[in-house]
Amino acid sequence: MAGASGLMSHEVSRSSVGTGTAIAHHGELIQGVFKDDGGRLHRGLVTLPIAGLRSEATFARSDDDAILVHPDHKIKASAAARLTLDFLNVTGGGVLTLRSSIPVGHGYGSSTADVVASIRAVAAALKVQLRPSSIGRLAVAAERASDAIAFDDHAVLFAQREGMVIENFGGSLPPLLLIGFKANGGVPVDTLQLPPARYDSAEIQEFGVLRALVARAVRRQDPYLLGRAASASAVLSQRHLPKQGFDEVAEIARRAGACGVQVAHSGSLFGLIFDLFAANLKRRAALVAQQIRRAGFNDVEVHMVNAEGRTW
Amino acid sequence: MVTFSVDYFRDLETPRLALLAPNLVAAAFPLMKLMPARYILDRAASNGELKAGSHIVETTSGTFGMAVALLSAARGYRLTLVTASTLIDAKYKARLERIGATVIALDDPRGDGNQPGRLARLQEILGKERDGFWTRQYDSPGNWLAYARLAELFIRAMGKVDCLVGCVGTGGSLCGTASFLRTVFPHLTVFAVDTHRSILFGQPVGKRMLRGLGNSVLPKNVRHELVDEIHWVGAFPAYMTAHRLLREHGIFMGPTSGAAALVAQWVASTLPDAQVAVIMPDEGHRHAETVYNDDWLAALPGWPCKELSEPRTLTTIAPAAETQWTRFLWLRRSLDDVLKTQSASEVPPAVGAAENL
Repeated sequence: MAGASGLMSHEVSRSSVGTGTAIAHHGELIQGVFKDDGGRLHRGLVTLPIAGLRSEATFARSDDDAILVHPDHKIKASAAARLTLDFLNVTGGGVLTLRSSIPVGHGYGSSTADVVASIRAVAAALKVQLRPSSIGRLAVAAERASDAIAFDDHAVLFAQREGMVIENFGGSLPPLLLIGFKANGGVPVDTLQLPPARYDSAEIQEFGVLRALVARAVRRQDPYLLGRAASASAVLSQRHLPKQGFDEVAEIARRAGACGVQVAHSGSLFGLIFDLFAANLKRRAALVAQQIRRAGFNDVEVHMVNAEGRTW
Repeated sequence: MVTFSVDYFRDLETPRLALLAPNLVAAAFPLMKLMPARYILDRAASNGELKAGSHIVETTSGTFGMAVALLSAARGYRLTLVTASTLIDAKYKARLERIGATVIALDDPRGDGNQPGRLARLQEILGKERDGFWTRQYDSPGNWLAYARLAELFIRAMGKVDCLVGCVGTGGSLCGTASFLRTVFPHLTVFAVDTHRSILFGQPVGKRMLRGLGNSVLPKNVRHELVDEIHWVGAFPAYMTAHRLLREHGIFMGPTSGAAALVAQWVASTLPDAQVAVIMPDEGHRHAETVYNDDWLAALPGWPCKELSEPRTLTTIAPAAETQWTRFLWLRRSLDDVLKTQSASEVPPAVGAAENL
């Protein structure tokens, strides 16, 4: 990784403290392989961010070379802090403290949120504003595969193993209501134990179509098209990491007039996507939540995406 | 040094999108067949079937041959196209040869295109070549898979697509685009455009006046189960619509594009709330001395004919005259299913035939 040489070569106060936060996500709207401008294929995803859950990191610089992390099992966050110091050409270490409200192991991106919050905290301690693209690259370097949460609510097609943006959709996702719940009895998934999915030619071609839908959905702020993309990606995901009860969920979504069904492609989360401005949404959402509980799914929650302060 | 990652042929294969009506978007291609040709060659190159200097063969006299010829020139492949003397004109043959292709035009005593003879010659060439590669546009899944790109372009331009209209020859463009659009828009209604006396949708084989549309053999890439409605457009209404595209929209396309536009404009006006997409596969240059030549047109018996504003709906599949436009509700059935129902039908097949001359 290229360092920002010279930028931080001047003397920085060793007593500075910085904080950083990062939001969680609800898995991916789409995930697959995608062509770059030269026709080369990259694994990539579009993250569905949810601002209601977050990780918060504090970094206090010290003269000591070591980085101490609390809680001490968050070694990827600690690695991210080290990589950020190196990237900014700064020696020394510090104390990294993390507090997170994000559940682990279901596809909420708890690990990436810790990593991104830590990178931001270190940068803040050094009074540097990093670009999202740099944060994304550092996050991938720290944890091998990372989601696109470094871009917050900005919609990008992100190569999760290369830390590179394949396509920048040039805006935020439209305002959505998400009814989220857990499949497979809510048993957590260890993402790094999953072998990378192998896709056939027809699937690879279809991913291009889903990408086009997301591009259009962002440009026109169209929740319906976003839902179509998410549903198709969820169907493809069933061939690689099947979720129990998928057909039943799809049927509930169809009857409720949802824009689509969304899944965490390497987790256990399901989400039903609704247009936040749809008519009778409160009543419909309550009804859907009831049906989902009756179908035996756990932990039904309501999330809002890009709601700009609206309360539920 | 210039860094240039974008393939020139990707630009050349990209259609210009034209708004023909408030709810009708046309993809006007300069050379549509580049899309499947490039995809098939790219795939073969990446899995090692195709190497520098390989010898590509195909049985075509149409625009697929032109597309493969351009790609072979740029990428250093040898190319042999096997066609029939009745199917290729001297000018097109000369154009292909100038690009570097070897064109073999076999005798065609029966006047049916001599496909068995062409395939035998192709196999003979492949048998002698260590690095031979047959692009197989009729049967290769690469043909229809390539059109995911067209589905993407429509979606980026239109969002939701409700109806798709397109010509059928190999089935690649219409069936490929339709199957990708339908995975995300299951309600998509697909209108296939064919011409009288093409066998693709159950008509008896016969002499066809409209070149580049329909077929006298059935390629695997025609997937009947995707099709909701089939339209058979004769040569005359296709020519007239091509002229109208030029006069009213400034778009210079070939007659098969005219046939597709005729059907699409009818669909768009019949279903004003639907978003309609139409595929127009090639430009008019190749037809400058025929379809766009008044002397040539004047020599056609029956030209000019009455402009048609709507098709005649058939209940029994039957050919019609080159001045006619017919339609049949296919309803996503297989060819076998439709033919079985047809033979069991009480309607005498002579009803349509009486009007054919």
